[in-house]
Amino acid sequence: MKVYIIDNGGQWTHREWRVLRDMADARIVRNDTPPGDLADADALVLSGGAPSVASDAGRMGRNSDYLEMDVPIFGICAGMQFLSEHFGGTLGPGDDPEYGAVELTITSHDDIFKGMPDAIEVWASHNDEVKTVPDGFDVTASSVRCKAEAVRCRDRPIFGVQFHPEVENTQYGPEMFRNFLEIASRHRNG
Amino acid sequence: MFDAEKFIDEAIASVREKTKGKAIIACSGGVDSSVSAVIAGRAIGDRLLAVFVDTGLMRKGEAAEVEEMFRDTGINFKSVDASKEYFEVLKGVTDPEQKRKVIGEKFIRIFEREAKEFGAKYLVQGTIAPDWIESGDGVRDIIKSHHNVGGLPKDMDMMLVEPLRDLYKDEVRQVARKLGIKSSERQPFPGPGLAVRCLAEITPDNVAVVREACFIVEDEIRKAAEAGKMKVPWQYFAVLLPTRSVGVQGDRRAYGRVIAVRAVDSIDGMTAAHSDIPLSVLNAISQRITSKMKNEVNRVVYDITDKPPATIEWE
Repeated sequence: MKVYIIDNGGQWTHREWRVLRDMADARIVRNDTPPGDLADADALVLSGGAPSVASDAGRMGRNSDYLEMDVPIFGICAGMQFLSEHFGGTLGPGDDPEYGAVELTITSHDDIFKGMPDAIEVWASHNDEVKTVPDGFDVTASSVRCKAEAVRCRDRPIFGVQFHPEVENTQYGPEMFRNFLEIASRHRNG
Repeated sequence: MFDAEKFIDEAIASVREKTKGKAIIACSGGVDSSVSAVIAGRAIGDRLLAVFVDTGLMRKGEAAEVEEMFRDTGINFKSVDASKEYFEVLKGVTDPEQKRKVIGEKFIRIFEREAKEFGAKYLVQGTIAPDWIESGDGVRDIIKSHHNVGGLPKDMDMMLVEPLRDLYKDEVRQVARKLGIKSSERQPFPGPGLAVRCLAEITPDNVAVVREACFIVEDEIRKAAEAGKMKVPWQYFAVLLPTRSVGVQGDRRAYGRVIAVRAVDSIDGMTAAHSDIPLSVLNAISQRITSKMKNEVNRVVYDITDKPPATIEWE
């Protein structure tokens, strides 16, 4: 299983690699890598990053090209914000930004959150958030301060989380990646 | 899962392949540089010289401790007292990024000097993943310039060898245990040393204040952990704040310094939660600092922020 982690400059991009490398052939690539170079991808992770996606989308490189690729995609933090806006959602600064521990309420256990309890602790670090999710997307988890903590596309295997499954303090983080890779493996085998 | 044994074999082979000739290694006595030194030592043997720079910004007794530790490893070792030089270049520097750059540059100039004398063209460093991640690059914001990455001058004339670049602290510790390195469980200590814990001007006097306060924090926490009152945090220390506050000592007005106590729990340093230290232990720390150091400090506060939004060290 080949997974490319698109590096949008996050503090924890390398952590995503660290978690994934035990589960798959994972590589970090720059976010201006031509999509053609990623033709052998079985899955993509769009990392977080410092750019405010709402106002500084230029620093998000070729993320919109990657979203056209027919592979399962997992957007994390800025990655989720970018894909949400790309498909027609809206972004804005959080009224009450989240840094550190957040209690996550999971409302769908069908895919990324399979096998997890309804309430878990996750860690977040974000200034902006998804204000309205795109048509054709569902919210799959939320917190008191951020309604769209996780989203899923109904027609394609595209997922986003506002928090950070790759950091040590997030409960069930590796399981979330494992669930994502399972989806990718099913997708590959048709 | 991370396989320490396999990593050691690959790292030795890789250092051996990259290092054609002599190398020096920058050693602080911490687990990252000690592991790098042992790996490099196994790779190139006598062609390696370990250099410890006493910046004057080290903790109590640290220089002697490091020397003793290296004596046991059989690696060529040299200690350089550069404290005067450091206080000189740090005069008047208060901006945290500037501080780290000045210290990083000084480190390199000293290592260049030592490398020349030893005839080395390579500099081995114990850089680990958070160091280069937080130092920023094309796509990443600079959170803080770690002296071994962001603090390096552009015109440096040595080639870098960084065997631990993709590792995090918990993995380095696993490697250290495999190699039987003494400092495997030592708490992290930043490259720029007490300079980033001294938010007041960096003078020998101010550094002495924060050094003693750090020693008291470490000592009280060690005692409390031995007594079963708490577990040893990932990292714990004191910070001298650049402010004064009013107090009363034996009916006399005091206008003294403020010490912030910081203790966090973490696995890899990339996220951290403030430690849940029992109030009785915090109280013992506060009492000991404010009585033993009564001429300098009359107030102690405890930092209860996590990372994010704070970082572990204050600068």
